[in-house]
Amino acid sequence: MSGTANAGRLLPGGLGYLRPPAEIELGAYGLDLRGLRVADIGAGEGRLALGAARDATSVLAVDPDRGALARGRTEARRQGLSNVRFREGAAQSLRLPDASFDVVIFSWTL
Amino acid sequence: MVDALQEAHRILVERGVFVDARPDSRVQARVRARTARGRVIGTIGSQRPTKTDDQMSDKAVREVLRRRLFRSRRRGRLWHAIPFEDVSELNDYLRDHLRFSKRVSWLAPRARRTAPLFVERAVRFEILEKPPRV
Repeated sequence: MSGTANAGRLLPGGLGYLRPPAEIELGAYGLDLRGLRVADIGAGEGRLALGAARDATSVLAVDPDRGALARGRTEARRQGLSNVRFREGAAQSLRLPDASFDVVIFSWTL
Repeated sequence: MVDALQEAHRILVERGVFVDARPDSRVQARVRARTARGRVIGTIGSQRPTKTDDQMSDKAVREVLRRRLFRSRRRGRLWHAIPFEDVSELNDYLRDHLRFSKRVSWLAPRARRTAPLFVERAVRFEILEKPPRV
């Protein structure tokens, strides 16, 4: 564990967004998502899920808000991303198989 | 919250990675004038319920670490800047905000609250790993 890596870093691309753009936030995590299966729990409209889908093999975005999921699906289609799925669900009871993801993200979820 | 972390653990493969990222209510947001790197002219705290919720989340993470469901790989903080045209727009934003205090604690006189304004907010994250079975 390296303590507080990136402490004090100001996001250069964050302007104009109420939350950091996906590429900035994912970049801060320092994860290489290529070839990985990612679950974004509490995904909302899929801000991070859509960003992760650019590198990951597959992304599942889970959120209890149907409206947000619908907007996420629309945006995924608009961006031509076919490897991201949106599913209704809650973090406390994920109806997903055991050991089925390489990366699980809780961003603004806990 | 521990329930959610247990679910994350369950669906992860061994050595899989779990990311927990949240606004950092332990650190006050900064209000900067003119540019995202301009002079700090104010600060914004968090509402008490938000701090309590965040402490509960922290406790849940500590619990799953204690139980060795996960081990910590890395943690960090990043800063996110949100622009506002002027003080009025910022006040409107704060009025409805669920986490921030409703008012800015100004550090500069009104004359120096020069638009545009930027709220620089801390976001902290922790990268955890599901350890392999031994």
